[in-house]
Amino acid sequence: MLAPLSWLKEYVDIALTPKELGEKLTEVGLGCEKITKTSDDTIFEFEITPNRPDLLSIIGIAHEIAAIENKKIKFPKLGNLLKPKKIIPLTIKTDPKINPRFTGIIITRIKVGESPKWLKDRLGKMNQRSINNIVDATNYVMLELGNPIHAFDYDKIKGQTMIVSQTKGGEEFESVDGIKYHLPKGAVIISDKEKIIDLCGIKGGKNSGTYEGTRNILIRVPVEIPNLIRRTSQALGLRSEASSIFERGVNMGGAIDALKRIVDLILELAGGEVSSELYDIKNQEFKPWKLELRKNRLTEILGVEISDKKILEILEALNLSPVLKKDIIETIIPTYRNDLKIEEDLIEEVARIYGYNNFPKTMPEGIVPIGQIPYFKDYRLDEKIKNILTASGFSEIYTYSLIGEKDLLQGVNSQDLLRIDNPVSRDYEYLRPTLKMSLQKALTQNKSNFEKINLFELGKVYLGRNLDEAKETYMLSGVSNSKSFFEIKGILEKIFEGLGIVSDPTKYIEVLDEGIFFELDYLQILKNRNLNKEFKALPKYPPIIEDISLTAKEFIKTVDLISEIKNQSPLVANVTLLDQFDNSRTFHIIYQHKERNLTMGDVGKIREKILKTLREKFNARLKE
Amino acid sequence: MQIKNSAVSMIIEAENQKELEEIKLQFLGRSGRLTLTLKEITKVPAEKRAIVGRLANEVKNVIEETLEEKKLTLGSQISNQQKQSIDITNPGIKPDIGHLHPMTQVLYEVADIFKQIGFQAADGPEIETDYHNFEALNIYKDHPARDTQQTLYLDTRDSKSNPGEIILRTQTSNMQIRIMEKFTPPLRVIVPGKVFRYEQTDASHGFEFWQFEGFAVDKNIRFTDLLGVLDYFVKKFFGENTKIRFASHNFPFTEPSLEGHISCITCKGKGCRFCKFSGWVEVLGAGMIHPNVLKRMNINPSKYQGFAFGTGLSRLVTLRYQMNDLRLLTDPDLRILEQF
Repeated sequence: MLAPLSWLKEYVDIALTPKELGEKLTEVGLGCEKITKTSDDTIFEFEITPNRPDLLSIIGIAHEIAAIENKKIKFPKLGNLLKPKKIIPLTIKTDPKINPRFTGIIITRIKVGESPKWLKDRLGKMNQRSINNIVDATNYVMLELGNPIHAFDYDKIKGQTMIVSQTKGGEEFESVDGIKYHLPKGAVIISDKEKIIDLCGIKGGKNSGTYEGTRNILIRVPVEIPNLIRRTSQALGLRSEASSIFERGVNMGGAIDALKRIVDLILELAGGEVSSELYDIKNQEFKPWKLELRKNRLTEILGVEISDKKILEILEALNLSPVLKKDIIETIIPTYRNDLKIEEDLIEEVARIYGYNNFPKTMPEGIVPIGQIPYFKDYRLDEKIKNILTASGFSEIYTYSLIGEKDLLQGVNSQDLLRIDNPVSRDYEYLRPTLKMSLQKALTQNKSNFEKINLFELGKVYLGRNLDEAKETYMLSGVSNSKSFFEIKGILEKIFEGLGIVSDPTKYIEVLDEGIFFELDYLQILKNRNLNKEFKALPKYPPIIEDISLTAKEFIKTVDLISEIKNQSPLVANVTLLDQFDNSRTFHIIYQHKERNLTMGDVGKIREKILKTLREKFNARLKE
Repeated sequence: MQIKNSAVSMIIEAENQKELEEIKLQFLGRSGRLTLTLKEITKVPAEKRAIVGRLANEVKNVIEETLEEKKLTLGSQISNQQKQSIDITNPGIKPDIGHLHPMTQVLYEVADIFKQIGFQAADGPEIETDYHNFEALNIYKDHPARDTQQTLYLDTRDSKSNPGEIILRTQTSNMQIRIMEKFTPPLRVIVPGKVFRYEQTDASHGFEFWQFEGFAVDKNIRFTDLLGVLDYFVKKFFGENTKIRFASHNFPFTEPSLEGHISCITCKGKGCRFCKFSGWVEVLGAGMIHPNVLKRMNINPSKYQGFAFGTGLSRLVTLRYQMNDLRLLTDPDLRILEQF
């Protein structure tokens, strides 16, 4: 929302410099994005939050300035609606359920023409193109007061009848700027006896707009239902200044003031005379409402006690007519502040004008919660595992969860993946079921700069062929073009050891053309973790260590030989494979007795038993 | 004993590595003197065998140790001679250690900062219901606030869900709901995680990025506590001299709401390109949890109060390292990763 300083000054005295004003308004919630100095003015650009339709008007911004400057606002002078000299006919059929308020009046014998310079200038500062004096006047009053206004060419309303209704869907409509739309179901429209003449709350129709030669007009200042306007606007991808205001909630009580203002302005700019009674069709009064603020509640929430005087001053400056009654402050909320509905809203009003930066800073009191929360995540585990990987030379990457059809691995059908209905592009249409292609891509990408590439990712994958089966889990995956199968196996073994897991890592490893890849279901692995550790006393007696070289057929698995060796005696404390060459393998065996020294005799007996068993079971023999 | 003494004296007199190797063979080799002695151990009467065995082991150890020592001294003599011919200003040989992604490093740091004041970390679903992501947070269908969080919808084919019901979460605030609906206060929680938006990618926007959320609910959590916790975080994370400034804002699920700006890290608040010459950068949104949100979670808002805050974790990373483009965080180029 743009706001020229000169325009704001018409309604409120401003003592602050533009820079100070911008900063102060930002602090109270009207984010000042830009201040531009022009030859004769200063233009502010504000970011308006969705709860404040009133700030989409100059008067609304002036209200905020009045609150921070603690000054009174000067509302534009409004004339009384003149009694019509003659009345021309119009039938309006509307339904307050889809159009809560239909306010309008007819002006005849106007002269459509160019707008005066002051009006063109002002609209220019608001980035608005001047069209003609009537359209410009409606835009001007909307920008000034925040109530969107539309002027219909009375003579183009066939049958002098206006019917407000909702579309069935598919109706054609040409907007005032000449674009044709097929309307969605449920859009609020006005039709005459023949055709749709207005897409309510969004755009007027080309067939009933005000152009050169228009003599008689109907001015409509409506109140629309936010949801209905928003839905249609979204469905058409069509937004206007009016729709932005209506979908946030227009000032329902402001319709008559806005009508008076526009009539004054049109009579001044284009002449003519009022030729109907005031139409104001509604099924409720749009009156200010009462809202109470308990002082102790304010203190409880904010954490500081603010003096009665200060609270009242703030609420008064905001035009909320506060009255202190014992411990309760009663306020009356003007209709333009439809964001103020509950007590907390008033607390926020006090706090923000008091100034968030004037509050002390405290730390929460009370006990630190101890019970483990649902969805608890222990980042220390991730850290531990990631440290093993980085220590082994792997670097970590983060890649997108969304992938395209062309990223799919061979054999994977996109029908079996979770899919986005409205992807940002075809390249990001599916949720990834594995991290494999991301890692492969990353490997390829790095090839031009690096010889040795080791990458890993701990990231989510999304399984299931449809939403009923959908399951999110984490995969720990890596790829390396420089490490051997056994190095990767060893790293995974180290990770499992770190987590206290006994598992065979080889099932997670895959040998690809470009390197070794591994992927494991991280959450599944974590389930089996055992981080309890118990200290084992060091042996008091020295071990006897020997290396035994065996010949055995190559198809015999080392793991089987080792477990068989271990099985032969509890005194075999550990066995590792030292060396392997063709059909010979050398094992490093540690014999250990907990309570006494081992003798060569003890060892000799075990060794014989080992050799005998290995010979019988595997036809393995001591190497000569 | 004899074996030990003669071995040790020979080792000490040895003049080079080759001689040492020969001595080693002579005593410890397959037909070395000590080895042969050990083989004869079976001839020793059984009751003395253990003692002899232990002795033999000791001798072996002493010889091995002396050998090692001598080896080192010989080695260093050589290297001292060689030092003159080697350029020791050549770089050291570094172990091949990989790099943790900057996002991870920042995430751990953030989790750690909050752990110190009693916040537990939580991790939850990214495929989410519209209810948890929006409705329960007062962002009803047709709420204009939905414009700021354009949503990616999941294809509901072959499932019980209706189109539009299941989305990729647009904010980690879904976890406020998921945790509060299951757990009664007191609560102090942070939630780092990935979020998704229907948004075209550029230097400061993406369809996937990381946020982190924090919230606390207890009997006397106050607005000033929110300000204090945010101040604590910002000073811990960006440095003690960092200033924080608050501005009123609007979020449907907090009341009052605020935005936090910090003094620019790059220029220390003087004004630079990074902060668009304002001296301040916007980092977070926060507020007191809206009473309707608490009510919906069956938490009585006249007994309990809470605050919530959220920020872009990705943004914290780019701020910390002064990176000018969010996309750098999903680029697996090792030339980027190796800087961290």
